[in-house]
Amino acid sequence: MSRLTRWLAPTTTARAHCDLPCGVYDPEQARIEAESCHKINEKYAANEDATFRTRAIAIKEGRADLVKHHLDVLWHDYFKPEHLAAVPNLHELFWNANKQVSKVKASTDTADSKQLLDMIDEIDAAWKATGGNEKTRVAGRPS
Amino acid sequence: MEPLRARLRGPWRVAVVQASMEPTIGPDDWLLVDPTTDRWPRRGTVVAFREPDSGTLSIKRVGATPGDRVPFRDGYLELADDEAWLVSDATTEMTEAAGLGAPIDSRSYGPVPVSLLVGRVWFRYAPLRRLGPIRRRPPAPRG
Repeated sequence: MSRLTRWLAPTTTARAHCDLPCGVYDPEQARIEAESCHKINEKYAANEDATFRTRAIAIKEGRADLVKHHLDVLWHDYFKPEHLAAVPNLHELFWNANKQVSKVKASTDTADSKQLLDMIDEIDAAWKATGGNEKTRVAGRPS
Repeated sequence: MEPLRARLRGPWRVAVVQASMEPTIGPDDWLLVDPTTDRWPRRGTVVAFREPDSGTLSIKRVGATPGDRVPFRDGYLELADDEAWLVSDATTEMTEAAGLGAPIDSRSYGPVPVSLLVGRVWFRYAPLRRLGPIRRRPPAPRG
C-alpha cells in the first residue's frame, strides 16, 4: 500500500451486517434434546415424589425449547428451496415435528416423546437425502 | 442525535465490511460520511449508525422515518417519533453468493433510535472504478 493510499484509507470500519452462519447443521442436535425429554418422561413415570416431578417438568420444558430451536435453525438455515425436489414434504415434516414438540412440552406421556423422536428421524433422513452429512459436518458425522 | 460539537468528531470516512448493502455498496468500499447533517433521517438515504444491541458501527438505508407504519412479521409496526427503520439493499441470495448469511437489519433487531444515527453516507472514493455519490433512492420493497 502506497503512502498516499495509507493516508486515504479509513481508520474506521462500518459493517453492512450479514449473518455469519458456521455452516454446521445436524438433526442430531435436536434428537439429543428430544431424547432428554423422552428419558425425563420415563423418570417422571417411575417417581411419584412431588418435588422430583416438578423439577422434571421444568427441565423437560427447557429441553423441548432447545428441540424447537435446533429444528428451526435446520429448517430456516440449512434447507434451501432446491431441497424440495428431493424432499417434497419438507415443510410438513418440520411443521408436524414442531407441533409435536409443543405436545411434548405439555405432556408427560412417553408415547408423545417417542413419536417426536420418530419425527426427528424422518428429518434426519431428509438431511441425509440432501447430502447434509457430507456437506455440513467436518469430515462427516462421527459414527 | 448528539450535539453538533460531538458529531464533528466523526466518523468522516469508513471502510465497509460484509455485503448487506450490495449492489449499492460492496465490501472494501471506502465511503465518505457526513456526521453534521441535520435534515434526516430522510427515507432512502444511506446512513451510518450504531446497532441497537451491540453498538457496532454499521451502514443501512433508511426504509421508514419516525411516525411511519412498516410491515413487520404478520402485521404493521408504527414507528415512534424518535425511531427509524433501517434496511439492507441486498437480498439473502446476494449475501449468500458472497459466502455470508442473511442480511441483518431492522427486520432482525427492530426500529433503531434516531439517537444512534451518526452520519449520512454520501460518497464512495474507493475503489476508483466505482467512484461516485451514494444516491438517495427508495429502499428495496421487502417486508
